[in-house]
Amino acid sequence: MNWIASLAPRFAAAGRRLSIPLADLLVLAYLWAIGTCFTSFILYGEEAYLLVPWWVMALAVVEGAALWESFGVSLGMRLFGRWLSREDDSSPSLGQRLGYWLSWHLSLPLFPLSFLDHEGQTVAERLTGTVLREPPADAPRGRWYRTSSGWAILLILFLTSGAAFGITKVNLSALIKGAPKTAKFWRSLASPDTSILTLGLKLLLETFFMAMMATVFAVVIAGPVSFLAARNLMRGPLARPVYFVVRAISSLTRSVDAIIWAIIFAVWVGMGSFCGALALWIHSIADLIKLYSEQLESIDPGPLEAVAAAGASRLEVIRYGIIPQIINPYLSFTLYRWDINVRMATVIGVVGGGGIGWRLAAHLRSWQFPEASMLTILVVALVWAIDYVSARLRAKLA
Amino acid sequence: MPHLAIDHLTKIYERGKVLALDDVSFSVDKGEFLVLIGLSGSGKSTLLRCINRLIEPTSGRVFLDGTELTALPQRELRRWRRKIGMIFQQFNLVKRSTVLANVLAGRLGYVPTARTLLGRFPREDLERARRALERVGLLEKMFVRADQLSGGQQQRVGIARALMQEPELLLADEPVSALDPATSHSILKYLEQMNRQDGVTVLCALHFLSLARRYGTRIIALKGGRIVFEGSPSEIDDAKFKEIYGEEAEQVEVR
Repeated sequence: MNWIASLAPRFAAAGRRLSIPLADLLVLAYLWAIGTCFTSFILYGEEAYLLVPWWVMALAVVEGAALWESFGVSLGMRLFGRWLSREDDSSPSLGQRLGYWLSWHLSLPLFPLSFLDHEGQTVAERLTGTVLREPPADAPRGRWYRTSSGWAILLILFLTSGAAFGITKVNLSALIKGAPKTAKFWRSLASPDTSILTLGLKLLLETFFMAMMATVFAVVIAGPVSFLAARNLMRGPLARPVYFVVRAISSLTRSVDAIIWAIIFAVWVGMGSFCGALALWIHSIADLIKLYSEQLESIDPGPLEAVAAAGASRLEVIRYGIIPQIINPYLSFTLYRWDINVRMATVIGVVGGGGIGWRLAAHLRSWQFPEASMLTILVVALVWAIDYVSARLRAKLA
Repeated sequence: MPHLAIDHLTKIYERGKVLALDDVSFSVDKGEFLVLIGLSGSGKSTLLRCINRLIEPTSGRVFLDGTELTALPQRELRRWRRKIGMIFQQFNLVKRSTVLANVLAGRLGYVPTARTLLGRFPREDLERARRALERVGLLEKMFVRADQLSGGQQQRVGIARALMQEPELLLADEPVSALDPATSHSILKYLEQMNRQDGVTVLCALHFLSLARRYGTRIIALKGGRIVFEGSPSEIDDAKFKEIYGEEAEQVEVR
């Protein structure tokens, strides 16, 4: 059985050696594509990712990675903490580096061989008597602008933001010339249609209660469940699997935006504020479980120990050791989530969640600006008020 | 029959396979003030926590008044824990709670869970808490949040919490390591008072040999999880000291 145990470090070593060239190839390919995009935008004013035949790009990227790894410390090598050196930790000679570059091309196709090697070494390393290992402790620690990786990262950031300009079709003249067209909207903001004030208030109340409902019932579920999602409380062979399942479900649920949930529930229960409340509810549960359980994971274990030592039962340990530590942060997170829900409730309304958002979107689509502005003013007033109240209350809880 | 008997106690931490206690046996008579000394990591904390089973020992037995604590089911263990007070290096108070709430937690072993979950303690326990706080000189801090107190005051709250248990045995895990020398003496004097006036047997882990000599009636030294010395404070000479603390150690006085 010993040889099975010895496989793990061997796979780790080989996996790291595979990750380094893959990372470098990815970085260089990305640089090439984004660079092309940037250049074509500057030169021709249009989007293009490939201006040369694809094999030219492929060759440049592969050779670039080979040269970078042979004669320098590549980004991949820095990421995975492996530098090229000789067995005695000294820097390889120029001849060795040249040999490493040539044989590097064999390493990728022959990569499976390094899983057979007990140190995971690649063909290139074996042939040239070099080894990829952790940098020696006294390795020169240059400032970032003296390293090729530093410049690579700077170039990535520069080209990405430059290309983003082209890809999003930034059009400054439209931004300036189109401004007068919105005059009608701004003017109607100053003269809202007050005849729908009562209707607006009713819808606003509906939106507000949508958020309220979602928050209250999310707390009822997330409060107890958060204990199952706290790593420090869920030890042992029975508790750990529960922890992983709860964590997985809640993070999956959270990764689906509330707007998507609203669309799902619009199909499920039909459009309206019930659909909106359900969407906010589901998303709040997942979000609160995360916030709550992180709070639980950061509690001081000392008081739990002290209370248990005094002869407290399991429930008493929770009541006197845990609850006093988490009650204020829990309330604070709940207020924060309530604040978010009120703001989100309007947006949810637009996609079918009912309330004031639904009506506002309808007026906007039919260019009824005075009505739309009345509702906008109401929404802004509510959000501002809730924001203020929530912030004041949370400051009290700190 | 000794008050407390430790019989071949061994603790191996699964993670990292650390041998924290290696076949430790000794016994303590009623009314002793036994001081445990040794470097950090020598097993003092583990030993104390194995006695009230905050940590489950890997093997070996612990007897209190002839009852084997290590064989008790959880429910029975909780009843026995009431007799064993404990104070901690980091005080282990709930910092957001009031001093009173922290002190009352010492009664949790006595009051039924159904009552304590509602936060309703018997009237005599409130009176008891008042007396305990008066004894450690913190009566006027009763309704102050624990995090508003100084380190020395927090440890006195810890002592008051232990007093609430009306313990027969007190485990003290480096109670003064986080405090300055002057405060250290005032805390240890409270332990000494409990020991002498109330007849509480004390097991106290300490860093400094000078403090151990001043307060202990007997000293046990641990090194690497083993007992390397057991005897009266005066028996520790320079050679013994170097054996316990290593060749490079120098004696530091805490007055």
